Amino acid sequence: MIKRLLQPRWIAMVVLVGLLVASPAYLKDSPYQMAVVTGAFFYAILASSWALLAGIAGQFSFAHMALAGIGAYTAGILGRDLGTTPLQGIIAGTVLAGLVGLVIGILCLRLRAAYLALFTIAFSEILRIWLLTEFQFTEGSNGLMLDKLWEGITGVQEYYVMLGLLLGSMALMYWLASSRFGLFVRSMREDEEAASAMGVNVVRYKVLIFVITSLIVGLAGATFYHQVGIVTPNTMEILQMSLVIAMAVIGGMESLLGAAIGAFFSRVSLEMLREVGVFGFTIELGAWRYAAFGLLLIFTLRFAQNGLLYPIIDRLFMRGARKDTVAKRTLAEEET
Amino acid sequence: MIELQVRDVYKSFGGIQALNGVSFEIQGNQLIGLIGPNGAGKTTLTNVLDGVYRPTGGQVWFNGERIDGLPPYEIARRGLGRTFQVTRAFRRMTVLENMLVPAMALHPTARQRDFHKKAWEVLEFLTMDHLGREFARSLSGGQQKLLELGRLLMLDPDIIILDEPFAGVHPKLMETIYEYIDVVNKQGKAFIIISHDMESIFTLSQRLLVLNFGELIADGKPGAVKRDPAVIEAYLGEEEEEEEGIVLIEAGDMEDAEESDA
Repeated sequence: MIKRLLQPRWIAMVVLVGLLVASPAYLKDSPYQMAVVTGAFFYAILASSWALLAGIAGQFSFAHMALAGIGAYTAGILGRDLGTTPLQGIIAGTVLAGLVGLVIGILCLRLRAAYLALFTIAFSEILRIWLLTEFQFTEGSNGLMLDKLWEGITGVQEYYVMLGLLLGSMALMYWLASSRFGLFVRSMREDEEAASAMGVNVVRYKVLIFVITSLIVGLAGATFYHQVGIVTPNTMEILQMSLVIAMAVIGGMESLLGAAIGAFFSRVSLEMLREVGVFGFTIELGAWRYAAFGLLLIFTLRFAQNGLLYPIIDRLFMRGARKDTVAKRTLAEEET
Repeated sequence: MIELQVRDVYKSFGGIQALNGVSFEIQGNQLIGLIGPNGAGKTTLTNVLDGVYRPTGGQVWFNGERIDGLPPYEIARRGLGRTFQVTRAFRRMTVLENMLVPAMALHPTARQRDFHKKAWEVLEFLTMDHLGREFARSLSGGQQKLLELGRLLMLDPDIIILDEPFAGVHPKLMETIYEYIDVVNKQGKAFIIISHDMESIFTLSQRLLVLNFGELIADGKPGAVKRDPAVIEAYLGEEEEEEEGIVLIEAGDMEDAEESDA
């Protein structure tokens, strides 16, 4: 056990988590930076859960932001109209997002690749337009106000709430990915017919992966927008969803950790690039920072399809297995 | 005892009748060859047996239970396993993970590590143990066919359907596949082997089924089937029956001669 914990991957994980836990000590004097990092945790949850859905299970969905929005709007509307507490609203929002995920999963059973993507884009757009037009119910483009998680919550507390959600969801997703569930959804990603011929109940796992990831983003969305204090239909724009996908691709869409780290640094970088100081001058990059982000995405897709973090993840997690393979292969060649 | 009954099975796609009243029975660990010209309905029959297609008529019974209409995973868990004409390894998974998928599907409460030993043993039997940690996509076509056979051993079915197991396989790997079929058959498993490799199919099979235009036109011992006029006609056409019939009978010898020439 101790030997296992001393492996580089575990040491790296402990150092990473330690840094995240200790960060508020440095960030507490800057509410803006604290809010940026807290928001980055939210995007890390979105990107890593999308990596589980699309990268690991092969279900290329564009409905992730819409499901986060469903969580937030449900919590907000229930709080406004029925006076529920934020916690009750978050639970209801999470459940509703999971139910919508269940319906999407069932409706998409026979849809693959581009058809699934188009279906989920259409779903997200219909939902966004409905939220925009049903003004009396949703406040339309003005956005729906949400109460803070609790009275007098501080930025540091919000930071730890989102960090806890990120670590909890990452632990759950890692457990799932390394269990029989992960084995089956990956076989399903590779070839549904062959997986089925090997005894895998493809229908069950396809629906389950939609439900689980929808629950995660519903929870994250409901919680995060309670911290932000407002949710608007713009949350569900294709651009927002594309950003989440780009973050996951840059980090490595087949790696939960890669996608989470990619999203974290992308989000923080995008905020830092709002204004750049050069030789005493301040340059406002505005929308051009997204162009730079797009260039990074193009670079990743062209030169590092496994994500920019792949070399590090490979070194930490896969080197042992490769050494084992090389040793066995050498032995086999010597025997023949 | 293993028992498969295919009772008057029909399957049509729009106006095309792919299977037209096919009936046969398998009892025990028979080694059966299924042959027929291109488009005869061999793969359609396989897809009906393993649940990919629901037959438009007729019934399939397996070990006393009606299985037509069941989904493929249910049929696989009941003991009917198959490979595919075009190899379908899980390419972005390691060889070992490929092996664990059917084992885990078959044993819902087991842990992956419970099957590591068996998986390595099967890989060793298939002379692939040095490739266990490789991604399946890095294997050659022949090795991927072996991997599919290995997955079937992890599924531990009663009847194994092999769709073109010898196509595009290096002669050395072919020997491994021959050995696999022989050993596994002696362990009590029945085989249905679909192949265009006449030499292999006539060498291996104890019984031959011949399909043509979705109908079963012959069912019997290889020696009798290859002299059956209906089979010769199906493969080579009525006009050239006499002349080409000799070619079919001697196909194995011809290929031997070609190999020795090479």
